[in-house]
Amino acid sequence: MHTHKTEQLLIATVGFFWCFLMWFSTAAFSPSIASTYHLSIKDLGLLASSAIWMAPVGRVVAGWASDRFGAPRTFAVILAGCGLVSIASAYTTSYELLFAERVIVAIAGVSFVVGIQHVAQWFESDEIGTAEGLYAGTGNVGAGVGALFLPRIFGTDYHSAFLWLGVIALFVALWYLWRGSAAKTTERSTVARRSSDFRGAVFVWTRYIAIALMFAYAMAFGLEIAMNAWLPGYFTRGFHGELLGLGFSSVAGLQIAAGTFAAVESFNASLFRPFSGFMSDLFQRKGWTPLPFIAKELPYAPRLHWLGIALILITLAMAGLTAAGLYGSLHWSVAVLVVFGVFLSFGTGGTFALVPLLFPDRPGIAAGFIGGVSTAGGIIYPLIFGGSANIHMGYLYVAVYMFVPFVVFYFWAARYERHPEEHGLFGAVPIGQRA
Amino acid sequence: MNPVSLPAPREPWYKYGIAILVLEMAIAITVSAYSLYMTFNGLGGFPGKH
Repeated sequence: MHTHKTEQLLIATVGFFWCFLMWFSTAAFSPSIASTYHLSIKDLGLLASSAIWMAPVGRVVAGWASDRFGAPRTFAVILAGCGLVSIASAYTTSYELLFAERVIVAIAGVSFVVGIQHVAQWFESDEIGTAEGLYAGTGNVGAGVGALFLPRIFGTDYHSAFLWLGVIALFVALWYLWRGSAAKTTERSTVARRSSDFRGAVFVWTRYIAIALMFAYAMAFGLEIAMNAWLPGYFTRGFHGELLGLGFSSVAGLQIAAGTFAAVESFNASLFRPFSGFMSDLFQRKGWTPLPFIAKELPYAPRLHWLGIALILITLAMAGLTAAGLYGSLHWSVAVLVVFGVFLSFGTGGTFALVPLLFPDRPGIAAGFIGGVSTAGGIIYPLIFGGSANIHMGYLYVAVYMFVPFVVFYFWAARYERHPEEHGLFGAVPIGQRA
Repeated sequence: MNPVSLPAPREPWYKYGIAILVLEMAIAITVSAYSLYMTFNGLGGFPGKH
């Protein structure tokens, strides 16, 4: 089959965009579902959090499967499976069954690591940052697009929305199978398949640099999805007086205001992600290695430095959010949130500009571990934010007690000048096996 | 500065990739500007006071 890497990038991006749309489509219709089944606030919270339940383990499995069976087959199975269950959920009248079906549809979110593996198998090391950034950033917008357009297109008729989302997913799955190709060369896909045994997976999971990148991604994407869920409530409660002063007095008005301010984080974190990949490529081309302690001689050392800068900026921005909140300024809070969203994108884009280069023989397993376990942050951070006595202090607590140790660990794990992937909990890779 | 490798010439797809990422950043900046405007003026009559 004659194809080009840009066609493979397009297929992966469209597939991921549609999966992201399905992943968060339940949230877009949660008011309608709540109204139909008379759900309590507790039930709604459970429904919202259920979207992330399958991600940590599911992404680890999906990453392994993409190395083992190739990205096109794995992606097509995810699209078709989630699409069929989405269609079934359109005809469900029992809330318990609907809840279970929507948890299964949320598995679509695991497709991220499959596309990362797919793009890594087609693009060269000097352009991987931009390519992965375009894939992930454009795909991530599916969440914002869903929240913005699905309720406007379908109103409260979530049955029709779930039906059409599922039907189109089946067509995208067929397209992926028809035109998708696992790797640029047969050799690349063979190496990935042969390295996808359990021993290879344990090897990746125990590498210090893989654990450091997992923490880095938890600081970026884990925080991004946590903030997606947390921010509307934060603005409604933390700046209630200011919102009333602006004329947002009704429930609908408060929702619009809080949603619009919260969207700043989501849009910037998604849409600046390709720029972050581009910056990683630029650091690589220019050979910039400004940070102390982090390796300077590795072939991809500048990319390690770009990610190190991103992690420091995210930590500082968290402190900035607390400062703006304590100052009581809605303007400053939204302004800091703009910068915060951009810094998050630096972290997400910077991480996955590195992963395929650190583990070229096991890109799927590495992406699954780093992109999967880190999503647990989406569950943990809101609990800390909500558990703080002062609603503005949670950001600072997370920054000081979690992010500072994560950054220190990253600097420590990235200090090796030769083969950082050989350092881990159980020693170096066995002779003859390249990681 | 650490000269890691000689810069390779860019492939044709790259310039289109850059154009897309610039477009995406422009959308993000527009959304941010609108949100910041809202912090000062509310909805300001668009699409209606709440």
